[in-house]
Amino acid sequence: MDNRRIALIFLVIVFMIIPVHANATKGTLSDEAKMCLGCHSTKEMTRALESKEILSLYIDGKEFSDSIHNMFSCSGCHPDISMEKHPLVKKISSKKEYSKNASKVCKNCHPDQVLKKKPMHGSVVAQPKAPACAECHGSHDIKRIAELKAPLTESQYCLICHKYDFSIPLKSGEFLSLYADESVIRRSIHTKLQCGACHAGFSKVEHPIRVFKSKRDHSITATEGCGKCHPDAQEQYKGSIHHIVLRENNLKASVCIDCHGSHSAVKVDRNLGLISCDKCHGDVNAAYKLSVHNTARIKGKEDAPICSTCHKSHDIEVTAMTMKMKDKCLECHKDAEKAHKKWLSNPPFKLSSFAEHHLNKVACALCHSPGASGGVYLCLYDQKTKKPFSKEDVLKLLETDSAGLIGKLDTNRDGSIDAPELWSMVKQLNEKGADVTLTGRMDVRKGTEAHQIAVKKEAVRECERCHRTDSDFFKEVSVVLLKSDGRPRFLSAKQGVLTSVLSILPVSEFYALGGTRLGLLDIVGTIAVLGGIAFALGHITIRIITSPIRSLRKMGKGGKE
Amino acid sequence: MKRIYLHPIPVRVWHWINAACFILLIITGIQMRYVDYIRLFSFETAVDIHSWTGFILIANYLIWLSFYVFTLKIKIYIPTLNPIKFAKESITQALFYGYGIFVGNPNPHHPTPDNKFNPMQKVAYLMIMALLIPVQIITGLLLWDPKFFSKFVNLLGGIRIVDTIHVVLFIFFTAFIFVHLYLATLGHTTFAHIKAMFTGYEEEEEEHAH
Repeated sequence: MDNRRIALIFLVIVFMIIPVHANATKGTLSDEAKMCLGCHSTKEMTRALESKEILSLYIDGKEFSDSIHNMFSCSGCHPDISMEKHPLVKKISSKKEYSKNASKVCKNCHPDQVLKKKPMHGSVVAQPKAPACAECHGSHDIKRIAELKAPLTESQYCLICHKYDFSIPLKSGEFLSLYADESVIRRSIHTKLQCGACHAGFSKVEHPIRVFKSKRDHSITATEGCGKCHPDAQEQYKGSIHHIVLRENNLKASVCIDCHGSHSAVKVDRNLGLISCDKCHGDVNAAYKLSVHNTARIKGKEDAPICSTCHKSHDIEVTAMTMKMKDKCLECHKDAEKAHKKWLSNPPFKLSSFAEHHLNKVACALCHSPGASGGVYLCLYDQKTKKPFSKEDVLKLLETDSAGLIGKLDTNRDGSIDAPELWSMVKQLNEKGADVTLTGRMDVRKGTEAHQIAVKKEAVRECERCHRTDSDFFKEVSVVLLKSDGRPRFLSAKQGVLTSVLSILPVSEFYALGGTRLGLLDIVGTIAVLGGIAFALGHITIRIITSPIRSLRKMGKGGKE
Repeated sequence: MKRIYLHPIPVRVWHWINAACFILLIITGIQMRYVDYIRLFSFETAVDIHSWTGFILIANYLIWLSFYVFTLKIKIYIPTLNPIKFAKESITQALFYGYGIFVGNPNPHHPTPDNKFNPMQKVAYLMIMALLIPVQIITGLLLWDPKFFSKFVNLLGGIRIVDTIHVVLFIFFTAFIFVHLYLATLGHTTFAHIKAMFTGYEEEEEEHAH
């Protein structure tokens, strides 16, 4: 700071103090202040601003006399006003603007060096949208920081600054708002908690500086504290697909506040998922809204399923290519197997196992979601462990990585796996010590279709929908490799993998009468039947041709001459 | 013309029930397998008929087996254990079907109630009755309810293997039906054997002494 500036500050201080006299003590106001208060102690004294806000011109004399600035005359902070002059006040656009302009004078005594001495304070005041000094510290009621803190709770103290809408820049170029809406916090379920309960490390005495790459990075970090009070939920979340994806640095993965909100967290009601899940899974939610389940929910049926009924809430799992959804359906539809048995049974005995077999091999949604497009999904299955054979194990045995996998399997590079390639895959794996086969299941192709469950009468009941080779459900065939966390990787396969003779052994577990008909057996059958007919026709033809010989012999043996 | 009581009534009943079952199973089997090409009746109806008929065939087979085992008539299906004799008789019979029948030679085999089948028939029918039909019945049962019989399905290597065996035998039986029907016309008249399967009496021309 140059000498001229120091001298100026000194003069200002002297100018402010002199009128108060040397005997000024707490509670003793300057004559100037007393004179100003003559008018400004009137509570009704207000001013309409351009923003239509009403600016109160009332000064509480008691507050001012108790403030740390009580020894200053009014003109110390309002330099254009003194005992001698009170110019017409210029136009004031808004309270914010007024506060900002009025706070400029603070720097006369509190220069930038001082303001930025504390890094956090420095970084905040440096922001273009930083609140004006008066907004945090007050104006006529300014107190020492220690005095200010003492009667306030931690949250009240934090809100002194954070009730203002200001933001800090992030590495990503985004601005992170540091605004906390007090009214929202009051309505939240966490209203009784102090800020530090969630914002670990922050208190009335500590305000560490943290650096975030992006707003998302901040959100994710902010949820780390949730587990302090909700350890079970956090533990469950750590096993969820959301956390698995997050661990892989996919910052789009949901964290606590994405579903529950941050300052707005309220008591969870069962419809939370319809709002929170919708943020990322809007297409699925739209399909659900058309479903019989949503209709039941709207009608007030308490056990109507919502997202978490089937997918759980914190420990959301991958459900694709598993039996989990079937089990979930049966949890509510306890009589489903019995109901299917009524029409899906083989005479003469009505065994429930026949319906059960269909329910195991065909996803519920494929029949109960009208118009759903289906496909056959062949999953590698470890016959030793009786569990899916993981993608990681496949990569290890085939000595490749995820990117190179398709190259290893699709050897003719035509973009999909055909029967010889499928045979070769299983053969290679088994030669390297595995004992795998492929299990098959029919399922919907899109997640949205799994949610658009319709009323019972709209369900597919025609056996021919599946039991034919030209069924739409058989046109899309995929080989599915499941990661150990359950996430599937779909590799396109040709329909021929189901109808080739080469599929008998690798796909020994999947069969649909009519649908997986072996082409070779059609040819063999045709040849055999034609051969049988040809034998009969050939033999009879020779008999007809040779009938004169037999007639001659018969005549020789005493027949008619 | 001499008349031999060749087919006792239980055999005749079994035969015609078996024949009806075979035809129904083949037709419904074709309908189920080729629903995208043929529409004689719905898939569901085809499955229902196929399943009912299958169980009737099983019961019928058990009746046949019981009759032949308990009356010890099963031995008519057993070829001679003398390989040379068997080979000679088989060749003679094959030569008859392949040559003798055309030139008017007499059938070398003269059926009697205790020796009903010629050597070639014995081998063929023994294979069919003791092996192929039981295998077809078992694989059919496993396919009828793969979940209920899952242990056996797995034991055989999976449902596709079971299905393949069932279909291969279906092809064999379908082709066999045509041959069987034709061979049934090779009696001394076109309908002699067929008539015998209704009456029980097989007619055979008496050979004149020279």
